[in-house]
Amino acid sequence: MNTPIETTGLSKRYGRNWALRDCSLSVPAGKIAALVGPNGAGKTTLLHLAVGLLDPTAGEIRTLGESPRENAQVLARIGFVAQDVPLYSGFKVKEMLELGRHLNPTWDQELALDRVRRHDIDLDQRAGTLSGGQRAQVALTLAIGKRPELLLLDEPLASLDPLARREFLGSLMEAASESEITVLLSSHLVTDMERVCDYLIVLSSARVQVLGGVEELLATHRVLTGPRTDRDHVPGWEVISSSHTERQSTLFVRGAAHILDPAWTAHEVTLEDLVLAYLAQPTASALPGPLGSTRRDRMEAPA
Amino acid sequence: MIWLTWRQHRQQALAGAIGLGLLALVLFVTHVGMAGTFNSTGLASCLSNPGRDCGALAETFDQHYRGLQFLAALFLVIPLLVGLFWGAPFVARELEQGTYRLVWTQSVTRRRWFSTKFAAVAGAALLGATAYAALVTWWTQMFVRIHASRFNPGFFDIRGMVPVAYILFALALGVLIGTLVRRTLPAMGLTLAAFVGVRVLVNIFARPHYMAAKITSFPVVPKGGGILVGGPDLANGWILNQVTVDRFGHLAYSGGGISFSPMLTSHCSGLIPPPPALPTPAQLSQCISHLGLRTVTTYQPAGRFWAFQGIESTIYVALAAALFLTAGWFVRRRIA
Repeated sequence: MNTPIETTGLSKRYGRNWALRDCSLSVPAGKIAALVGPNGAGKTTLLHLAVGLLDPTAGEIRTLGESPRENAQVLARIGFVAQDVPLYSGFKVKEMLELGRHLNPTWDQELALDRVRRHDIDLDQRAGTLSGGQRAQVALTLAIGKRPELLLLDEPLASLDPLARREFLGSLMEAASESEITVLLSSHLVTDMERVCDYLIVLSSARVQVLGGVEELLATHRVLTGPRTDRDHVPGWEVISSSHTERQSTLFVRGAAHILDPAWTAHEVTLEDLVLAYLAQPTASALPGPLGSTRRDRMEAPA
Repeated sequence: MIWLTWRQHRQQALAGAIGLGLLALVLFVTHVGMAGTFNSTGLASCLSNPGRDCGALAETFDQHYRGLQFLAALFLVIPLLVGLFWGAPFVARELEQGTYRLVWTQSVTRRRWFSTKFAAVAGAALLGATAYAALVTWWTQMFVRIHASRFNPGFFDIRGMVPVAYILFALALGVLIGTLVRRTLPAMGLTLAAFVGVRVLVNIFARPHYMAAKITSFPVVPKGGGILVGGPDLANGWILNQVTVDRFGHLAYSGGGISFSPMLTSHCSGLIPPPPALPTPAQLSQCISHLGLRTVTTYQPAGRFWAFQGIESTIYVALAAALFLTAGWFVRRRIA
């Protein structure tokens, strides 16, 4: 099986602004990957590049082993839900499904009808009059009805209230586990992602800052608290960020070694802690490679 | 793709069909009345006899049906409506409402999306346009016979096959502009301006030169009322330019024939009595032959009507094809 998404040196520029710069990453098969980062970090650009709506300025992207721009046939294997879930507002729900059926050779009408019915969506209702949650469900149904190998979702939670968000993620998980597809969904809401995602990509100002499996990332990061110290150095650990009060120092660190200094107390981190810590330190990064090496180290290292 | 095309464009198709139906109804009804007058007043039989002066009858007919002339303006505008309401939103609405992200990420390539949709819409436009052009050609026949001017832009542009070509051109123009501008309303405005611009430019600068014009020169003969006319009957031909010259080729009058004027008196002193006395027809004839006045006419003969229709249609269809290909390229390579 091909790697669902693999990019090397991928860059996209709009005029003078780089929306994505020298971005190399891969999403392993079978993962539910979260693409997080602040607004304008390049999440939508990356997803649009993956589905061939955009052409890279430089570098390369392979989606399911193909260049989506050169080989549009790969589109049949990708389900995509764009930001703000565009639907034809004059179409009835059943007509949106008809669209899916007519435009996709691998369409599963049974599955699509079943999903829509399960969410109590009236097939005769116009798409323009659906609630935000229903819109998102119809759009997700369109994407899943294709029976894709890869599902790309751009901010699907943005317009949903917390309850609809939970329900949406639940149904997404269910669909993903039923058909063993790879999912990449972007969001700026990290908390929601923690429950469902097992892979994490953090984009920040057009660059990849963090990349890796969620478990592994959580296992290799700690928050250390201890008496106030001026030394931002812990043997075997890379200090991502530090904050100090009068009596106490708090360090956010990355590494794998045992902490020998009894002055420190180590705490496990949440995904949100991790994302926020990195976003606050734009120069720090956690990318696959020798642990403890920052991007700069690796770039300066002889080949 | 066919299903989606029909679902997205059925309202436009319905509106077009209703419009065409209403137009046909109006034309049939008015045609009955016109044909009645045309035959009962003797205008029809008068016009079938070449050489007879049907001016008075024709004028009565013309005045009676002047009210219908607004229809001629409508006929000129109809191709534009296709460009505005079928062409401009074609891609622009998808871009504007963001649905291109939905439809271009299904299993259908953009190339197929664009060409299937365009082929269907253009096919419908072609069908409607043919019916419309046939209707209008039939309906305007009486006016054309009265005015003996098939080449008059008021008639040439709404009859025969050019209306069909204009409609295809307007459609492709709207599609391309919508693709580039990405918003429906501005695209409609620009389509309007571009369509009118191209039509005016072609009419003024290109059409007279589709084929080398013929030049003919005839002696001026006096006619009643002090107006002297020259040249044969160029009925239905397209007169591009007409001047009157003397025997040395000097311009005597910028127009056909010559109007009786003091100028003539001064050139024919002795032959024509000085003003305010009016010359007799015999005196005028003498003066004209003395000066050797001839009317030189540059024109496109009536027999070229269909050749001109063919050339103009080819131009617009070629333009439409180029615009379509450009729009397709932008959809495939440049947008989003």
